[in-house]
Amino acid sequence: MRTLFTPSRAALLIFFVAAALLPFFVDPRGHLLRVAAMVLLFAAMAQSWNIVGGLANQISLGHAGFFGLGAYTSTLLFLKLGISPWIGMFAGAVVAGGAAVLLSIPTFRLKGHYFALATLAFAEVLRVIANSWADFTGGPVGLSIPFMGSQPAYFAFRAVSSYYWVILGLLAAVCLAFHLLASGALGYRLRAVRENENAAEVAGVNTFRVKLIASVISAALTAICGTVFAQFTFFFDPDSIFSLAGLSVRMAMIAIVGGLGTLGGPILGALFLIPLEETANAFLSSKAAGLSQFVFGVILIAAILIQPRGLMAWWPKPRRRRAEASRPAVAAPAAKGA
Amino acid sequence: MTSAPLDRRRAAGVMLAAGAVAFSLFAEPVRAAEDVVVGVIQPLSGPNAQFGIGAQRGTELAAEMINAAGGIKSLGGAKIKLVAADVPTPNTAASTTQRLISQNGVSAVVGAFVSSTTLAASEVTERAQIPLVTFAFADQITGRGYDYIFQVSPKGTVFGEAQFDYATAIAKKAGEKIDKVAILYEDTAYGTAQAKGLRDAAKKAGVEVVLDEAYPLGITDVSPLVNKLRASGAQIAFPVSYLNDSLLIIRALRQQQIDIPVIGGAAGYIIPDFKKGLGDYAEGVLSVAAASGDLIPELAAKYKEKYGSFITHEAIIHAAALDAVAQAMEKAKSSDPQKVRDALATLDTCTGLAKGVPGGCIKFDKTGLNTSAFPVFVQWRGEEPVTVYPPQAAKADPIWRGQTVK
Repeated sequence: MRTLFTPSRAALLIFFVAAALLPFFVDPRGHLLRVAAMVLLFAAMAQSWNIVGGLANQISLGHAGFFGLGAYTSTLLFLKLGISPWIGMFAGAVVAGGAAVLLSIPTFRLKGHYFALATLAFAEVLRVIANSWADFTGGPVGLSIPFMGSQPAYFAFRAVSSYYWVILGLLAAVCLAFHLLASGALGYRLRAVRENENAAEVAGVNTFRVKLIASVISAALTAICGTVFAQFTFFFDPDSIFSLAGLSVRMAMIAIVGGLGTLGGPILGALFLIPLEETANAFLSSKAAGLSQFVFGVILIAAILIQPRGLMAWWPKPRRRRAEASRPAVAAPAAKGA
Repeated sequence: MTSAPLDRRRAAGVMLAAGAVAFSLFAEPVRAAEDVVVGVIQPLSGPNAQFGIGAQRGTELAAEMINAAGGIKSLGGAKIKLVAADVPTPNTAASTTQRLISQNGVSAVVGAFVSSTTLAASEVTERAQIPLVTFAFADQITGRGYDYIFQVSPKGTVFGEAQFDYATAIAKKAGEKIDKVAILYEDTAYGTAQAKGLRDAAKKAGVEVVLDEAYPLGITDVSPLVNKLRASGAQIAFPVSYLNDSLLIIRALRQQQIDIPVIGGAAGYIIPDFKKGLGDYAEGVLSVAAASGDLIPELAAKYKEKYGSFITHEAIIHAAALDAVAQAMEKAKSSDPQKVRDALATLDTCTGLAKGVPGGCIKFDKTGLNTSAFPVFVQWRGEEPVTVYPPQAAKADPIWRGQTVK
């Protein structure tokens, strides 16, 4: 018999309740709430990435492409046609899902590093297009979300706390999607693909179809995060929204540092990395050029060296059945499939 | 991976606790009692670091000079305290600017040399109702109808037009009629804005643009570009770029002994590293600029003494930007952001560091643009660029194809 409240679920519930109450205890106009919102948003992005990156071990370095498609679709729909970003958000998800299908057809035949490189090129191509197709995208100058006070129907709020709760809701939705996928039949098939793609194929799993579904869901959720990011930061340009180091790698990094393929991993990863980076910036960036990034990088390397399987590996795991828990195959999944 | 799991757990606890402590530190506001706090955001790391560092030095020097001269007198001699933050990319600009505003209680923000970063930061300052005084000059900065943004230098397209008009005027004086020009620019906000100004000016003058090439920032091989330039038959080349590409382009031109005059588009063409990277090849290169050290010798001398190199235009303009904030506070008798903003909007000054801005004054129009400022031309002479055009600002005569133009 499975009980409804395992320690892990209780921890997750406590996290969400605490997060929901946070705005009542901190300065509502303050920077702390903004950083907390960024933590939640990056957790949602990493969780979206985790669906293909973690469950199926398809290490994508091009998720900024979907992210940027979401931001551009909703913002252009709003600027050119006056359509509310709430609707544009889902339009962006559809566009990104379509892009994921197009991208999957040629790239899913690639394995390991080759797949990572192909996805990386995808985001780069979008960046170049956004830069050069200036009549449509606004070009290298980027796009601003017009300042229009508080208009909830158009996803514009005065208070940071409103954005914060929207982002928290998004994170909850993405986590739920991940949980349903991971615990359903698709999740088992994805894990079969991760462990050994050929064996999965032989066992009757349509690996292409399974990967495609995961990839489309992941891309659509990432695009929604992109829209929310654009609304929250008010401005983006091609180089920042399709950024390899700033977004693609960061999504993967948060999931990997937190724990690849686990539900709590992206949340832990974001809770650890984003405040760390902000702290480094706040206290060191005025001291010497580049010092904050250097310190951040050193701590990151240390974290990965101390626990290569991610922070979640420290989590007590009574829920997993013994046979699964003792399975050694979780270690170093990135090396597989190469 | 076989050591005791308890140690691991403890280590995890320590790491998360450290994160939590660091996080909670944000709740503490840092503010001294009688100082007035001004935020400075600049790219201090990343590809634009050298410009950001120069700009930050300019603001630091200006703060020192204002404080040494007695601070803000109408506020009982309050000293200006700068809080600096690194904004390497537009993604970090919103969050960093928010931090300066909510934690440091800044009266105003100065900076962000890079246009895209400034656009991102200005979206935050506008919503928080904090004045932002900038040198960044993409046309969109003052083109959005915002109330809390002030730009000390002319717009990007104005720089482009000046780059073209000044060059053809000098050529005409030297007896050369210009029919064909080439524009090479990097596809950034700054490059495209200025290229547009150049293109429009050429069209207006009826001059054919025989080469109009955008290239990506961080280009590593410019020889195809230079070959096209050679084949195009252009009489003047207008490259608009940051540092590394400017070095590559000039070096390739000189090595291939292409002697057409090169008029740089500011940024990389007028900083000490340009001379360091090119040596003798730098001599005689012209460039448009927002300011030049020889227009404000007292500031230039102090800068050189303190930092060991000549003062760059981003340092001069950011110094002037901080001085504008100081003068606005003096006038408003307050450090309240709203009052500082109102005082900035009605500021009309031709004293202090405003003298470093060509035109010598700072007066903002409705959009927040300093209307009295105009671009100048500088030309490399030995170790430093010298102002050579327009005549009302020039400190020396321009040299065109080896001939001094009177």
